Amino acid sequence: MLPAECSRRLVAELRDALDSCAERQRQLEQSLRVSRRLLRVWEPAETPAPEPTPGSEINKEGPSSACPPSPQDLKELELLTQALEKAVRVRKGLSKAGEGVKARSLKSGSASTATKASAPPSTSRCTGSRAPETKPPRGVHHPWVPAKDLPGRRLLLVGDGAHMGQGAGANKPEAGLRDQQIVPQAASQVPEAFTLKDKGALLRLPEAFRKAASRNASLWAQLSSMQTRDSVDAAAATAKTQFLQKMQTAAGLPSSMLSAAEVGRLQKACSMLRLRMREELTADPKDWTQEYRSLLTLEGLQALAGQCLHRLQELQELRSAVVEQPQGPWPEGPPRAALPCGGGADPAWSPQLLLYSSTQELQTLAALRLRVAMLDQQVHLEKVLMAELLPLLSEQEPLGRPWLALCRAAHCLLCEGGQRFLTVLQDEPADRLSPP
Amino acid sequence: MGRRRLRRPDPADAARALPEAIAALSRTLPAAPSPETFRRAKFDHPEAAPALWRLLFRVLSPLPADGASASLALEAQARWVKSALRSQGYPRRALVQLPDDGSQGGRELLLALAWLLARGPLPERLLTQSHVRLGDEIPVCECEALASPGLSAPSVEAEGFVDIRHLQWLMGKLRLQWRNLMASQQEQCALLGKIHSYTRGCHSDRSLGHLSVTETELLRDPEGGRQLLRRLEMENARLEAALEWRHRELIFWQWMDTVLDACSPEASPVTFLPRIPEPGPGAVRLLARELQTLQEELREAAEARRAAWQAVVGGHGPEWRAARRALQTAVAQDLAALQRAWEQDEGRARPHGPRRLVRTDAKVPGGPGLWAAEATEALRAREACLEAALRQLQGQCRQELARLAGARPGLIWVPPPAR
Repeated sequence: MLPAECSRRLVAELRDALDSCAERQRQLEQSLRVSRRLLRVWEPAETPAPEPTPGSEINKEGPSSACPPSPQDLKELELLTQALEKAVRVRKGLSKAGEGVKARSLKSGSASTATKASAPPSTSRCTGSRAPETKPPRGVHHPWVPAKDLPGRRLLLVGDGAHMGQGAGANKPEAGLRDQQIVPQAASQVPEAFTLKDKGALLRLPEAFRKAASRNASLWAQLSSMQTRDSVDAAAATAKTQFLQKMQTAAGLPSSMLSAAEVGRLQKACSMLRLRMREELTADPKDWTQEYRSLLTLEGLQALAGQCLHRLQELQELRSAVVEQPQGPWPEGPPRAALPCGGGADPAWSPQLLLYSSTQELQTLAALRLRVAMLDQQVHLEKVLMAELLPLLSEQEPLGRPWLALCRAAHCLLCEGGQRFLTVLQDEPADRLSPP
Repeated sequence: MGRRRLRRPDPADAARALPEAIAALSRTLPAAPSPETFRRAKFDHPEAAPALWRLLFRVLSPLPADGASASLALEAQARWVKSALRSQGYPRRALVQLPDDGSQGGRELLLALAWLLARGPLPERLLTQSHVRLGDEIPVCECEALASPGLSAPSVEAEGFVDIRHLQWLMGKLRLQWRNLMASQQEQCALLGKIHSYTRGCHSDRSLGHLSVTETELLRDPEGGRQLLRRLEMENARLEAALEWRHRELIFWQWMDTVLDACSPEASPVTFLPRIPEPGPGAVRLLARELQTLQEELREAAEARRAAWQAVVGGHGPEWRAARRALQTAVAQDLAALQRAWEQDEGRARPHGPRRLVRTDAKVPGGPGLWAAEATEALRAREACLEAALRQLQGQCRQELARLAGARPGLIWVPPPAR
């Protein structure tokens, strides 16, 4: 058994590691759910399909459709109906011949008229003047999503009493086609579900979204250029520095209170020095200049490490001189580990891309990233275990079996990553042989 | 492009400038109180304090605001804020002396907020944290994953003594979890690859070419798409406010000067110490040990190389003396840069941060982008470093344990069969 304090710390560390792993798994599973769903047949959305009755359909359109449809709208809806009928006919004809690129472009041809016509009624405004604006010069549209306008997905056919149940059927072509009132003959014979594989290339992002996204990118770019220009805006920078200085000089805290930040910096220093050392040691000097440079670097790193150690020892002395009251369980403050990279969230200035060309490449990269994370965690755990277990073993009197068992277990944990055990044989001297 | 408001505060607008600056600040910070609260805080009105405690909590916690952390009581939040500010080196003692119930101290809290604002690009950093991610992202390095402190409630382990076998069991569990994680990750990459290739040609942005999962999802689920759009628009509003803040902030700093002057000067050092936790002594010990080990390793390596160097140095001609000086300067600069990286708050050794995945067949990048092959190379190097480090530590343990066991006669250690 391990002593209480030691146990508590070690279990806490391991649980931390398990928790962070579990968190990654949770996030990954969430992404997996979403991705799997996208690759299956797209189900209709949850909004209930309205019953095909004229009155209720108008009401369900929402407060925005308080005005009755104009003659313009009716005309365009008529066009829409015709276009869809044509689409069904075309598809029926082509589905016998098999799908091809031609089919797609034909569909898209009819679809674009359909979507153009559908745009006005599906917006929340009743005027037809929106039509030119929403007629984009794009060729291909997803036929059954009025792709420009997220809020308005309903289509109204008023006047002849027939209309399409849009809502739920938006993403499913057959829903629109099945509506008996428009295309009585062909609809039920064209069961086609939407899959990303077949029709993914037809998708288009909605207009509102694209606008917002591009505004977002432009704002970030402006903000980032302001940041780099900050040195030009000297007045504000000076004011800030002066303010900080004033705060500092008005302070009355003893220096030991500030040591926490410094400890963090020293942790960072340790990581970076170590990383640099590894790089130097694994590099292969090709000629004497490189050799000499490597030598100088190592000596310089040694000096820096010495400086950091010295500073840490100073801080330790300061802290031990300060008497602290015991505290209860406390939420942890800022992060524990020092990170080789800058740490903290660096502002996302420009959109950074990672380009890959095959799934294999992506998988290799992702696997490697996880492996690095795992190794990092293992190294940290190794250090923690060493710090706790080795002193324990050397302090304890080797009093027979318990100590041996501990030693063997510690060896397993520390030297074999918890995976394999060694065997310990006790070689009793001959004159003390005694049966167990 | 949007309309840029480049109106600088001129004397005629002086009366309006400060409220507008504070209003911009209030609009850009997450969960910020109204501008009126800021002004009340200057005069230490009691109702300003709780709002500012909450703001500081939100601003300082590295995790995005979620139910768990937001539901912490005001008292707990106040304590956490004090601890976080202390560990960042906040100089004023008066803050630490404020009562934990969060009822007082509006002015001190305002000063603390200003201090944070002065030290770095705080609004921008917060916006980055809550940035709406539209692409499928993959972090190239691991620092963000590691920097997640346990803001969760402290789980005091009820068990005191623990058998070492429990630790072994936990390690085994951890190993299994990693294996599962890797398998899931491979599947996710395969799915991403498919989605990216199926939606090729759909994106209006040519440099991207295809849709991401987020974008495809918003087409599949319009309701979710609407929510995403709302979040995007909210972020745009905050970005605009941040730009406005940057234009107007000078007047804010002039005002903060008056606030600081309004405070009574801090008295001489206190005789008692407030109950704020420091980084655990364990962490410091561990660090000291690490630094010692590191220094030892460096010394050994450097001495060996120096000896090897001395052996051959005679063979070099006079031209190497000049080269030597150049090398010394170069190395000194190198190391100084390294030192700066950890001394400053925002040091960065290499570019990192999550990147948007883009599947492309092109051989040359259309715009700025990192190739997966390069990123893989960098990761392999890091992997090698870490493996070497782990092996070295394990070797150290082996030696140490052998030494301890050797002290006991009559023991035979049979190591497990080599891999």
